[in-house]
Amino acid sequence: MRIGDAVSTYRGDETIFRTQTQKIWMGILVIALILFPFISSPYMLFLGCMVGIAVISATGLNILVGLTGQISLGHGGFMGVGAYSAVWLADTFGMSLALTLPLAGIMTALVGMVVGLPSLRVKGLYLAIATMAASVILHFIFVHWESVTGGNRGFNLQNAAIFNIKLDSDFRMYFIIIPLAVLAVLGTRNLLRTRIGRAFIAIRDRDISAEVLGVNLLKYKLMSFGLSSFYAGCAGALWAYFFKIVTPESFPFETSIFYLAAIIVGGMGTVLGPILGAAFMTLVPEMLKLMTELVGPILPNAQVLLSPVKGMVFGLLIVGFLLFEPHGLCELWRRIQRFFRIWPFKT
Amino acid sequence: MKKLLIAFLVTLTSVFLILSPVSAKEDIVFAETALITGVFGFAGEGLHDGIVDYVNYRNKNGGIRGHKIKHVFEDCGYKVDCSIATFKKLKAEHNPLFYSGDSTGFMKAISPELKKSNNILMSGVSFASELTDEELYPKSFISGPSYSDQMKILIQFAAKEKPGAKIAIIHSDTGFGRDPIESAITLVKDLGLDLVEVITTKAGNVDVSTDVLKLRRKKPDYAIFHGYVLTPINEFMSQMKALGMKTKFMGTYWSSSELMYMKARDVSDGYLGITHLNYFNMEKSPGKKWDAMKAYHDKVHPDKKSRPSFYLFGWFQTMVWAEVIERTIDAGKPLTDENLRATLNSIKDWDTGGIASVPVTVRNNSIPFGRIFKLNAAKGKYEPLSEVIEIK
Repeated sequence: MRIGDAVSTYRGDETIFRTQTQKIWMGILVIALILFPFISSPYMLFLGCMVGIAVISATGLNILVGLTGQISLGHGGFMGVGAYSAVWLADTFGMSLALTLPLAGIMTALVGMVVGLPSLRVKGLYLAIATMAASVILHFIFVHWESVTGGNRGFNLQNAAIFNIKLDSDFRMYFIIIPLAVLAVLGTRNLLRTRIGRAFIAIRDRDISAEVLGVNLLKYKLMSFGLSSFYAGCAGALWAYFFKIVTPESFPFETSIFYLAAIIVGGMGTVLGPILGAAFMTLVPEMLKLMTELVGPILPNAQVLLSPVKGMVFGLLIVGFLLFEPHGLCELWRRIQRFFRIWPFKT
Repeated sequence: MKKLLIAFLVTLTSVFLILSPVSAKEDIVFAETALITGVFGFAGEGLHDGIVDYVNYRNKNGGIRGHKIKHVFEDCGYKVDCSIATFKKLKAEHNPLFYSGDSTGFMKAISPELKKSNNILMSGVSFASELTDEELYPKSFISGPSYSDQMKILIQFAAKEKPGAKIAIIHSDTGFGRDPIESAITLVKDLGLDLVEVITTKAGNVDVSTDVLKLRRKKPDYAIFHGYVLTPINEFMSQMKALGMKTKFMGTYWSSSELMYMKARDVSDGYLGITHLNYFNMEKSPGKKWDAMKAYHDKVHPDKKSRPSFYLFGWFQTMVWAEVIERTIDAGKPLTDENLRATLNSIKDWDTGGIASVPVTVRNNSIPFGRIFKLNAAKGKYEPLSEVIEIK
């Protein structure tokens, strides 16, 4: 049972890690994240990097959808803007990742704020359609602005580097992606403690009331779009560095749905939710593949027979979560935490 | 007793020595990111079956110079990130010599990784023109003509059949669909043909009635489709034929399969497809290896009377891999990617025994040859129409 963590000051209440136990677990997590690439197979390392990128992007979308209550179906397009920006900057000006990454984020944030302008007039389904339209327009630009995007062929990133270190392996990319994912999550956690974060939540809960309380809707809604797009842009840039290629089909409309599903499955409006959701959406299809392999010795030709079933099982798992745990994986995690917190007094 | 023991040991050693060169031969691994599910699942399944059947057929016939072939695969449903993960997994676990990719996106994205990898070459479902760049894609190749070459073959055929003909190009709004359009437009103009319309549509079920009205005004002699498998080609053909138009319909490899008459029998008669292979259902046997393929197929799949061209594609692609390995072994060279690549590039006028409809010569990472086949819907067969057309 965890006791003695009562706080008596506002500062104490806002502390990110309140107890020694939390700090120890965080320390263990950090050590595990550092050791992971040394002990994992290339396949696991690849998945680790994919989860890292997905965490950054999902965390960004969570700021907009989960914290501010603004729906967006343009997240995939924003990732594309980030990816193209990074590759273009690297290719044209020979910039290293240390520069291209923040610049790609900023460029995407600007695009995101333009796309977010309709949010001042419309919300809900209407905003969803407006952002979806933006996604289509961005895709059109990716295809037809050939001098910058390379058109259909896209861009190959030949010499990805940071501080003259070539980013030519998943191992090296891991040590870029994961620290940035941690930074993105900590940034969001910190955001919740600030006036900006509280303004976002106020807008989500009741925008008219928020305005009455002095929250500038124009400023904060656009800020939310900008921040969310910044995260998406950085995730897109990392994606481009990771895969070394960007084409118009790298970020289809389904990418936006993927991230929306990730934050819903993980738990919207929480910091942990997008992490769990991103991991779930990235890893479960791979786990299902593994399961079909395990069935192999019992059922010959299992992979061919069960492959079509995988998609259905994945869909059912998502629907199952929505039905039985609408607050997402995050809530399941909280329940586990509560169990251990009060153990052994109540099991 | 001692003599008997010595004789037994000598016999045992002899048997071991005789058998060991065969049994010690390592398996050769072929890997595949399969396309069993996803938007192209209907095509990918046949392709996968073609690979599996060729591997089993070859193993039943002694493998490749005594080496058995092991085939490993995972389905990814046409998702690039999944395909890359699968590549890394299969490569780490099985160290394959040849790998079949499931999309252009994947084959382009994996290229940097492939360049760094030792002893692996890749081909797959993509005919993307970009893959013919040997410098950019030194370890990839196309088991057929690129999309640009396919379009060129169709356009050259049209130019020869009807000089100055009116051409309409209809393509999907995908990377696959847009790939050869620019070069095709240039060629149409260079050959003195009249390009009357270029139409871009979504792939799949779309309303094409407004596009059909545009084509009605322009009256093209040939409508060339690219970037589709079936729909909306059948829609175009149906509506244009209903309007009494005399346009001839043509399509590139993925839309030149038996699906055309299986799903659109009423409107597909006379459809012109381009392929470098033969079809599963041919009126006359094109060669001995084709006969062997049919016999093996009928033996292991007695329930399946027909196969789409994707099956033959899978069979042919695997046959190319096996041929490259066999020739490299015969030359006494180790199976490194440099040697395999050199052998692949040296393939010239290879007679595939009727599996391919053209003599196979590898150039610029591809086989730049093709042949036009005409669909006879009544018979449910494609029939060869043109001679072999080579793109130089």
